[in-house]
Amino acid sequence: MNEEELRRSEASMADLLNQFERILESDPQIDEVGFLHPSQFSELNKEVGHSSPSFDDSTVLRSADGNSVFWNRDHKLGISTQVLFPLYEAAKHAFMAASRQYKALNSKSDVSGDENSLYVSLSLDNSFESDVMKHSGALLLLSSDLGTAWHSRKLVVSQKHKLSDFLDELLLSALVLSYSPKSEYAWSHRQWVIKSIAGKCSTLSEIVTKDSELVEKIAERSKMNYRAWNHRCWLVTYMTREQLLYELKRSRNWASLHVADHSCFHYRSRLMLKILEEQCYKQEISSSGYNVETYQLWKEELDWDEMLIKRYIGREALWLHRRFLSLFWIKHFITDHSGVSSHGKQNNSMNNDFRIFMDNELHLLDSCSIIPDNSFDDYQAQAKHSATYILWLIKQIPDSRRIEFQEKLKTENLKALLNKACPERSSTWDSLVSYVEASGH
Amino acid sequence: MGELAAQKHVQFILSVEKKKDSLEAVAMEHPRMNGEYWYLTTLDLLGKLQAVDVDEVVSWVLQCQHDSGGFGGNIGHDPYVQYTLSAVQVLVLFNKIDVLDADKVASYVATLQNEDGSFSGDGFSYIAISVEKAVNYTVSCKNHDGGFGCTPGGESHAGQSIDKDLLGWWLCERQVNSGDILNKAKVKPGGLNGHPEKLCDIWYSWWVLSSLVMIDRVHWIGKERLVKFVLDCQDIENGGISDRPDDVVDVYHTYFGVAGLSLLQYPGVKAIDPILCFTR
Repeated sequence: MNEEELRRSEASMADLLNQFERILESDPQIDEVGFLHPSQFSELNKEVGHSSPSFDDSTVLRSADGNSVFWNRDHKLGISTQVLFPLYEAAKHAFMAASRQYKALNSKSDVSGDENSLYVSLSLDNSFESDVMKHSGALLLLSSDLGTAWHSRKLVVSQKHKLSDFLDELLLSALVLSYSPKSEYAWSHRQWVIKSIAGKCSTLSEIVTKDSELVEKIAERSKMNYRAWNHRCWLVTYMTREQLLYELKRSRNWASLHVADHSCFHYRSRLMLKILEEQCYKQEISSSGYNVETYQLWKEELDWDEMLIKRYIGREALWLHRRFLSLFWIKHFITDHSGVSSHGKQNNSMNNDFRIFMDNELHLLDSCSIIPDNSFDDYQAQAKHSATYILWLIKQIPDSRRIEFQEKLKTENLKALLNKACPERSSTWDSLVSYVEASGH
Repeated sequence: MGELAAQKHVQFILSVEKKKDSLEAVAMEHPRMNGEYWYLTTLDLLGKLQAVDVDEVVSWVLQCQHDSGGFGGNIGHDPYVQYTLSAVQVLVLFNKIDVLDADKVASYVATLQNEDGSFSGDGFSYIAISVEKAVNYTVSCKNHDGGFGCTPGGESHAGQSIDKDLLGWWLCERQVNSGDILNKAKVKPGGLNGHPEKLCDIWYSWWVLSSLVMIDRVHWIGKERLVKFVLDCQDIENGGISDRPDDVVDVYHTYFGVAGLSLLQYPGVKAIDPILCFTR
């Protein structure tokens, strides 16, 4: 490439970036970004009812050489994959330059005491500041995990202390998540915003509820999105008791429609633990004793999980959720851990509760460990999960109870069941069973 | 069972490293330091590190360093603890750690430590400790100076407080069987997944496997089945390894596939240290 060509291509790259940033400015309500293969432009036009191939209004934006570059309508934005790389290069270039100038000016205004030059640098500062925001925004819509661009936005926003600026960051992050739902930086940017405004913002609980809804919306499109659910679990710390109960109720339906998504069950376990934790804390203060509501909550979850296990054969997530529920059920509701075991009556009723619980779990094992002839893999998986669940339970229950339980069920029977359900993993079963047996003595 | 097409894989990763203006490059630019480290380690595991121009790589690495002592993922990018680790690792790989001001790097890492002993940056304690360990290790190798060991936080090593058996239990349950996952058409038994009900993936196979090796529970899984899974993920003709059999290959899965085989002591691949991720 000679110098003339180089200049021309640089100029056309800058034009492209200008065009892109103008769209973002003129339509601040854009809520979805995606990348389009050039052939998809005409299909999209057909979809919105323009059959003529010559159709060309504000929906499609073309580059100087006539190629379709952007598609913008109903607050949706499509970017041609053909320009993605040059556009990215141009945005990166512009951002890096603005960021350098902004940082240089900031460090200069720190040392300069002259009022006049302070005024000049402040107005310059404002223009570099808005350049940093404009170009980093464009850049992050092309490459979602560019930490440097996210950092510089944090720097600018936190120096201005304006609530509306913080809230705008939530919008940008949501827009980035619309095309990159697993972006670690976009999710942690939200956490930074919420941490920054907590205590200073009267609508925090609304924001938390909206964020929780955003996770659900994204999880619907992007299956098993660990980052998204992790964010929802993080939100739990900022929830009131009413919100916790509401979220528990709301996510139940979603979970029963997505029984293979372990993340949703993990989210429920975080909610339940927070409720339990607050209960324990309250009890300490008021010493009101036994909490029927929380007990009932746990009992319902155990029953609901059992119902799902029987309906959806062989789903690991349901069995793992049961491990969690059982562990805390034993620990908080039927094990005497306050040292009052000598009080006969209470002790007896706890013994009884424990027996009822164990009988139920053994019954569940019986009904789930039958592998019918010519069955599908699901039944083998179900038998395997039920056996490892019981094995895990034996390991988790207190020593004093274990002896009684072991008589009813021998570990070698579980091992035989595991080897029947899944013979190719015998080395794993050997290891697990000998581990459980060793810890029993 | 097939064999490892080592030579093809070397050609594949060398060819990808040369392509820098593709669409893939947009996503690969900012974490390039990390990519560079895995790229070089994979070549090293396969005994082909001499194919690389050392001076070129070292000079690029040094251009990524900031005044603070930390390294960015590429030239002009902000420093980040993960890329600082990768940079130190790359220099160690070439035995060029003497070009580095180790105190400066250590002071950068130390500034990231919180009062409770944990590190800032999304649960990257492992990385921060490894940086210290790597720096420690290399500095002591160089001038036998033990003074580095007192960097704050180095003593709270994660490996000591965990219940190895319970962790091992969870990890070994990641090995996938044909009946385990809803989407049965895509299940290829023997591999490991990173999360219940997910498809198994070479990438997770590496992380789960290296954890199992660290806690000495690798015999809890079926090693032969995992080796077969990795070999089934190869593109025998054009080189490269994919996330699972019959998918499209890419460099990251090639790195983790080769590293996984190394932990499984596959013949012809050098042994890798599961914590420091160096060839031994």
